[in-house]
Amino acid sequence: MNFFLKKLLIVIPTLYIAWTVVFVTLNIIPGDPVNLMLGGRPASDEVRENVRKNLGLDKPVLERYGSFLVNATKGDLGKSYLTRQPVTKMIKENMMPTIELSIGGLIFGVFFGVLFGIFAGTKPNSIRDTISMIIALCGISLPSFWIGMMLIYIFGTTLGWVPIVGDGFVSLILPSISVGLFFAGGMARLTRSSLVDVLNQDYIRTARSKGISKYNIILKHSLRNAMIPPVTLLGIQFGLLITGAVITEEVFARPGLGQLLLQAILAKDIPLVQALVVYMTAVYIFLNLVVDFTYGIIDPRIRLERKN
Amino acid sequence: MKKIVKIFFGISALFFSLSFVSYANALDIVFAEDRPDLRTLDPRITQSRHEEMLIVNIFDQLIAADSEGNHYPGLAKSWNVSSDGLEYTFNLRNDVTFHDGTKFNAAAVKATFDSIVDPETGSQGAVDILGPYKETVVVDDYTAKVVFERRYGSALTAFTETELSIVSPTALSSLGNDGFGMAPVGTGPFMFKNWEANKKVELVRNPDYNWAPEYMDGSGPSQVANLTYRLIKDTSTRVAALEAGEIDIAELVPPLDMNRFDSSGDLATVAGTVSGLPYAAFLNTTVGVFQDINVRKAFFHSLDRVKMTSDLFFGYAEAAFGPISSSTPSYWKGNEDYYGYNPDGAAALLEEAGWKMGSDGIREKNGEKLTVFFPCLLEPDTCVAIQGYANKVGFDVNVEVVMKARQDELIFANGYDMLVIRWVSLDPGVLIIPFHSRNIPEPGKFKFNWARYANPQLDQLLEDAESAETQETKDDLYMQIQKHIMDQAIFLAIHDQVQTVAYNPDLEGVRFANGNWQLRMYDVRKK
Repeated sequence: MNFFLKKLLIVIPTLYIAWTVVFVTLNIIPGDPVNLMLGGRPASDEVRENVRKNLGLDKPVLERYGSFLVNATKGDLGKSYLTRQPVTKMIKENMMPTIELSIGGLIFGVFFGVLFGIFAGTKPNSIRDTISMIIALCGISLPSFWIGMMLIYIFGTTLGWVPIVGDGFVSLILPSISVGLFFAGGMARLTRSSLVDVLNQDYIRTARSKGISKYNIILKHSLRNAMIPPVTLLGIQFGLLITGAVITEEVFARPGLGQLLLQAILAKDIPLVQALVVYMTAVYIFLNLVVDFTYGIIDPRIRLERKN
Repeated sequence: MKKIVKIFFGISALFFSLSFVSYANALDIVFAEDRPDLRTLDPRITQSRHEEMLIVNIFDQLIAADSEGNHYPGLAKSWNVSSDGLEYTFNLRNDVTFHDGTKFNAAAVKATFDSIVDPETGSQGAVDILGPYKETVVVDDYTAKVVFERRYGSALTAFTETELSIVSPTALSSLGNDGFGMAPVGTGPFMFKNWEANKKVELVRNPDYNWAPEYMDGSGPSQVANLTYRLIKDTSTRVAALEAGEIDIAELVPPLDMNRFDSSGDLATVAGTVSGLPYAAFLNTTVGVFQDINVRKAFFHSLDRVKMTSDLFFGYAEAAFGPISSSTPSYWKGNEDYYGYNPDGAAALLEEAGWKMGSDGIREKNGEKLTVFFPCLLEPDTCVAIQGYANKVGFDVNVEVVMKARQDELIFANGYDMLVIRWVSLDPGVLIIPFHSRNIPEPGKFKFNWARYANPQLDQLLEDAESAETQETKDDLYMQIQKHIMDQAIFLAIHDQVQTVAYNPDLEGVRFANGNWQLRMYDVRKK
């Protein structure tokens, strides 16, 4: 318990630092939020100055930082420059689609990743190993915009099996495959190599000599021990997904945190970027904790070591 | 292993069977809008032509205008202008209600215009369009008098602009400025229903609508029951969804696809020439090689704009020649006689200016290369085409594709040789913004005279044109203005802006709003 408590205590300073870094960076890099907001529109000086005043951007930087900080401690992360809506509301609106896509990608990725990993790892250096690993490599290295466009072309336009921009569960299939392929590729490679290591261990040989069936050896004895590296990767990749998959969101015209962050950065919408970074940092910290916790479940020895 | 294979096929089968669930909805219209980041649907606040794509269908204006810019009675049955040009008296319809049941009357007109000029509202477009607005006087329930501080030549056009739509005063006071933009209430043919951020906005037909302008085909409520704006930024996805039948009408369709649809006949297409500034480049007259007018003229002559435009747009856009597009009022035909494609003439002008051809194909003068720094914010493919043409006569054009933040910095620092622009505008009065000397950018002050051209005579012409008394004087002044800009070779028009639309061929009545950018959906129906 002590271990988790310590980790939790680090959360607050981490969030504060991330939040401040964003504020400082966005104030240093070129670009004036008012001009970016008004775009190429021929707005008069009066309009520009009035917008600046309404957003509080006429106040000195330090004062703005101070009032952001005071409000943030009260749980008010401010209003977006662009939409004048509370940033927390905007994040909430875009969070569910991102979570749906992440879970879709996770299910696809873990299922096919582990499947191909076992397929390859149980017979290293065979043809099926080579083919599986080539497929995995494709999953990792093919850019997601290309995969997305191909999926749309094949399953949406040509075959007409799934909607391209529809609603509901069906519309989640293609985007999930698109993000899941990357996931699956990494999982497959790591599961394979980890499995190959474990299968060469003495206790597996012992198990074999005792006449335990091949599938029992793989699923009960080897896989569990081989899962520590893939679970670590899972945590990192799930973290990437839950903070938004910009390209996939764009190709499939889905709302999501990736698009929101991109829009916020391009427009220098400082309150929105800050809130998103706080959210993303919190998600990473949380997922790290979950991964640590999962180690203990997979391998009880890790729990013992912590106690000692 | 067999078990695993079985599970795999089981799951695949499940996925495929689910995918056959029906998702089509027959009689409703889905429109693909290319911007996902809509911020407000409040006509008083917006500055985005993409937001106006929706706003134009939710609201009405005092004066209606068709795609050609002709004026018709709108919410006002008639109007007259006082002899000093300061007072516009509107005789309003008395049978109009807002979507929330509020009666439309002179008080609503006053509430709308007064709130536009209130700094608290934070208007980004409407306040400029309302110009020298002084006040609105409620003469009686259905007579409103709008008073200006000084003569405002663009006033009648202004009252047709989407930004000056009349909004429900009841909704305004109950929702506040921020809330109104998220749930707009107007008098238009469609009512706001729902907005899923970054995904779609849903409108429904206004069942009480009985005040369509006379240029429309229909009367009474629209035949479109549900109008959904699906926000799809990715062009290829937009086109794919259109071809798959998930979308009925799509905007900003690439010319290549427009061409394909026209040859196959699978989809209907329509392209509108947007009024306002064409896609054009300012040449910086204060630094670098373009300080010399002969070098500017040579640059103009080096480009085959007609061929370039037809190569890039397959005939869906025309080459542009003047400071305003051919579809803008007061456009001067004389623009088209200037600076035709003439590489030999360009070479001669450069020779005359002392720029001699170097061994590397780039001209030189006193050891200096004929280099042009071209930060490109819009249409990188067109920028590169310009680069290629200019290179043939000895220019070394350095194209850097920039984001807006970087372009803004370069504008403040006067660190560019040319910059591109394009604007939608209904009135030639827009020219004062990019060409008056008071609009030359300064460090920290964003303005639009990017050629940094200062000339008292041009300033005077622009000011006079703004308060011209008759249409003839106005046309004459804008002719002189366009001639001046062309003579000085400071603004290189390339091609007209186009709005390319493709739609389901079973539909008809797809109609451009004034300005040829937004679409009015009221008349859309099945053939």
